[in-house]
Amino acid sequence: MSVDLTVNGDAVTIEGGQDLASGLRGAGYTEVKCGCDGGVCGLSKVFVDGKLEMACGIDASDAAGAEVKTVASLGTQSDLHPIQQAFVDNHAVQSGFSTGGFIMSAKALLEENPDPTEAEVREAIDDVYCRETGYQKPVEAILDAAERMQEDVAPDGGTVPESDRATKSNGDNK
Amino acid sequence: MSDSVEDPGEEAVTEPETTGSEAEKYPLEIEEPANNRGPREDPASVRTSAEKDDDRKLVTGEAKFTADYADRFSDLAYGSVVRSEIPHGRVTDIDTSQAEAMDGVYAVITPDSEEVPDTKYTSAGQSYPEPSPWDMNVLSKHVRYVGDAIAAVAAEDRETADAAADAVSVEYEEYDYVLDPEEAYSEDAPRLFEDDEVENEIVGHDYSRNRMSSIGGEMGDVDAALEDDSLTVHESEWETIRQSHAQLEKHTSLAYRNEDDRTVLITSTQVPNHTRRQLSDLFDEPIRNIRVKKPRVGGGFGGKQAMVTEPVTLALSKAADRPVLYEATRDEEFQAMRTRHPMRLRTRTAVTDDGKIEAIDLYALSNTGAYGSHGMTVAGNVGSKPLPLYSKVPNVRFEADIVHTNTPQTGAMRGYGAPQGTLAIEGHLDEVARDLDMDPLEFRQGQFMEVGDLDEIAAIFGGEGSKRRIRSCGLEDCIDRGKDAIGWDDVEQPEEEHLHRGIGMALSAQGTGVAGDELGAAQLMMNEDGSFHLKVGGVDIGTGADTAMVQIAAEVLGVKEEEVIVQASDTDITPFDYGAYASSTTYISGSAVKQAAEDAKESLLKWGSRMLDEPAENLETGDGSVYSEETGESVTLEEIGYESTYGDETREQILGQASYSTDESPPPFAAQFVDVTVDERNGEFDVNRLAVAVDCGTAINPGMARGQVQGGNHMSFEMAVSDGVTFDEDGIAEVSDYDEYHLPTATETPPIDAMLVETHEPTGPFGAKSVAEVPTNTVPPALSNAVRDAVGVRITEMPVTAEKISDALEDE
Repeated sequence: MSVDLTVNGDAVTIEGGQDLASGLRGAGYTEVKCGCDGGVCGLSKVFVDGKLEMACGIDASDAAGAEVKTVASLGTQSDLHPIQQAFVDNHAVQSGFSTGGFIMSAKALLEENPDPTEAEVREAIDDVYCRETGYQKPVEAILDAAERMQEDVAPDGGTVPESDRATKSNGDNK
Repeated sequence: MSDSVEDPGEEAVTEPETTGSEAEKYPLEIEEPANNRGPREDPASVRTSAEKDDDRKLVTGEAKFTADYADRFSDLAYGSVVRSEIPHGRVTDIDTSQAEAMDGVYAVITPDSEEVPDTKYTSAGQSYPEPSPWDMNVLSKHVRYVGDAIAAVAAEDRETADAAADAVSVEYEEYDYVLDPEEAYSEDAPRLFEDDEVENEIVGHDYSRNRMSSIGGEMGDVDAALEDDSLTVHESEWETIRQSHAQLEKHTSLAYRNEDDRTVLITSTQVPNHTRRQLSDLFDEPIRNIRVKKPRVGGGFGGKQAMVTEPVTLALSKAADRPVLYEATRDEEFQAMRTRHPMRLRTRTAVTDDGKIEAIDLYALSNTGAYGSHGMTVAGNVGSKPLPLYSKVPNVRFEADIVHTNTPQTGAMRGYGAPQGTLAIEGHLDEVARDLDMDPLEFRQGQFMEVGDLDEIAAIFGGEGSKRRIRSCGLEDCIDRGKDAIGWDDVEQPEEEHLHRGIGMALSAQGTGVAGDELGAAQLMMNEDGSFHLKVGGVDIGTGADTAMVQIAAEVLGVKEEEVIVQASDTDITPFDYGAYASSTTYISGSAVKQAAEDAKESLLKWGSRMLDEPAENLETGDGSVYSEETGESVTLEEIGYESTYGDETREQILGQASYSTDESPPPFAAQFVDVTVDERNGEFDVNRLAVAVDCGTAINPGMARGQVQGGNHMSFEMAVSDGVTFDEDGIAEVSDYDEYHLPTATETPPIDAMLVETHEPTGPFGAKSVAEVPTNTVPPALSNAVRDAVGVRITEMPVTAEKISDALEDE
């Protein structure tokens, strides 16, 4: 049984009978990591029809017809998304194995809440496990990204995708 | 970590050398290369928070970890391992027929298969010969813990492999088993090893009572001080958790035979060169026939300073005659990979009435689990890392017994014994200070290490080289910075009467590499456009080591970081390196890189001299050129590159190379502070803040170094508040995934204030020493001390829990 879906804008067919993370990885989307035995560690987060999901916690067949976005859809090495750029600039990446989970969680958070508090950031990444950073720099990176995304042009000169541009906040969210 | 293991009898006592003039033999001032202090004013790269070399591919998901290589192999098979369901026994029958008959199964291997070596070995990734006993087999019929490997399967996909592994039927003769280290350490206890089941035995072994090793050493006369009536003897006992490395990338290996009929491993390892040698021994293949490649690694923390998944993967690949990928499950990570050694410790001190410590006596009982990897050396570091810190104490003794139990095997883990020893020393000294009614910092003043000290203790207890002169020490500054950050002198109590705020502190020292037992090497070659390829054996497991290597080379060569392309940790391509352990990489591999760059620079200056018609001694490298300060003239490295490659007269490939080893291992230092609020009604507590200041010498990359300190402190925090891996009465681990293992999450982790106190270590590259381990040692004692400060009760058995505090308050 095979499953047809769209991944980062491309039509893709993956094998059914497995979790979505394994299916995506088998199709070459190895940016989707998994550190647990399914649905726990938060590293495999992808957007499925705009909803943030741990891909290793859902069946591939549940994503039939869905539009899936992975961390690779955000930016390129020469033109990083502001969240990715903030992780680089804040030295928030060590091995990088958990980073995709952090970045996808941050993207979902900032879409909902462009001006989060530190506590809100911690809450948003609370289901992403990291053994390396003590969460300190990822939290700082996400707060930094929030600021960057309120600017029309990212400070590094990178472009902020249209969909991620937030209107200037008046601080009501704090 | 100490690798010269000779058996001097029942108890090893090593006396340090004392001949010759010590001032001459261990000078304080040493000759330092002129450039070693160079970048202090105007750094090109070193001491800047340069972008991490691999970050862009990591944040975009393009970086390749071991499992990501699966799609390069059209005929790849997946491995799965059949593990013991009982804690101790002998396998009497393995029925593989059902598994072999399944569609898509390529191979089922057992201890009897010809592809499975029957050689005894240790999984510890240490230098040769390993100071760990050769006590395990790739697959074994004598099983010693729930999770011991018995058989393995290779199949067309993971699901089939797992199903086939489940279909392998195993029958056992069950033996008595023992889970508690004190019970195990007795002649009546079930015995894990017969004498003929171990080779390369370690000092002090007595398998009749499950002891794999016993070590000890003494400086001065501790018993005399303990019996001295004018001194007060304090005694305390401590216990640490069985911590899992819990690195997010599981142990993963991919093995195949390439078109040259050679064996290739792509594997998530900290020790590619040791693994190559150990695979060579195990499979009786020449070293030259084996290639070990380390791709990106998703964390190691010592759990991958071990050959864990490689042997079974290679055996499966040989049996299936195709590439095999074996990725441990998270369940296997907690049950069958490696953990920190849990320990019970006893500390005794003899102290004068005005607070001078006359003697310290430390004993550790270490539970090494079913096998002995890193057992003796980790125990040695319980003494050799924390005890030198109190360099003014004249009488010091350390002893340890390392015993087997029918629990999963332990191994190297960040801190390597120092966290256990630091709890027992720093918690104990806090209690002594309180007994004396002294401020714990004031009590320690004048008793801890300072520049100029000659440390004997690391040599006695760690077996590492000889005495060591301390040439850099920022402890005083670490303490001052930490005190300021935490508000030591001005602790405001909460308004609620049932809440009590307390501050605790702890000090720590580590090492920088294994003294006298490290080797790193590096090569540089220049392209005609003036860029460089750097080949280095040093192993980046997510620490940013590759970036530090690039920065060191860029600093010497006077080029931007992007002009240096780093290639690391591929045994066919990169020079030898002992690997990423013992906080050695920046110091050892980094020194090799620095000297290789200086070697290349010599050629650059020679070509600059020729092209500028200036003596080489007037020339320097910088801004991508060779320039003369006298004339102001310069020639770019690209011009040199084209001239040296394509010139008419003489041609030369500009190369540099060096290898580096040393007897030095300068300690980095840390001062830890913990701010806690305790509810006296129920013992519930909140850790408000962790503040830790670290002296790592020169921080090659301060941004990355602070990240190491924060991550180390988070791991240390877990040791103070989490249960670790626990077992039921049948020896089955009660943890199978992250939701059962209490790794503190983002909301459970307090803010970590990481401070770098810069000193200059003259033996290190640009003044650097290590950073990554020392902040792992300090939170358990500092939290115990903070709780004591807040509500007056002492928690000695980790983790600190509300229940323990509440019980202790009730007992008062």
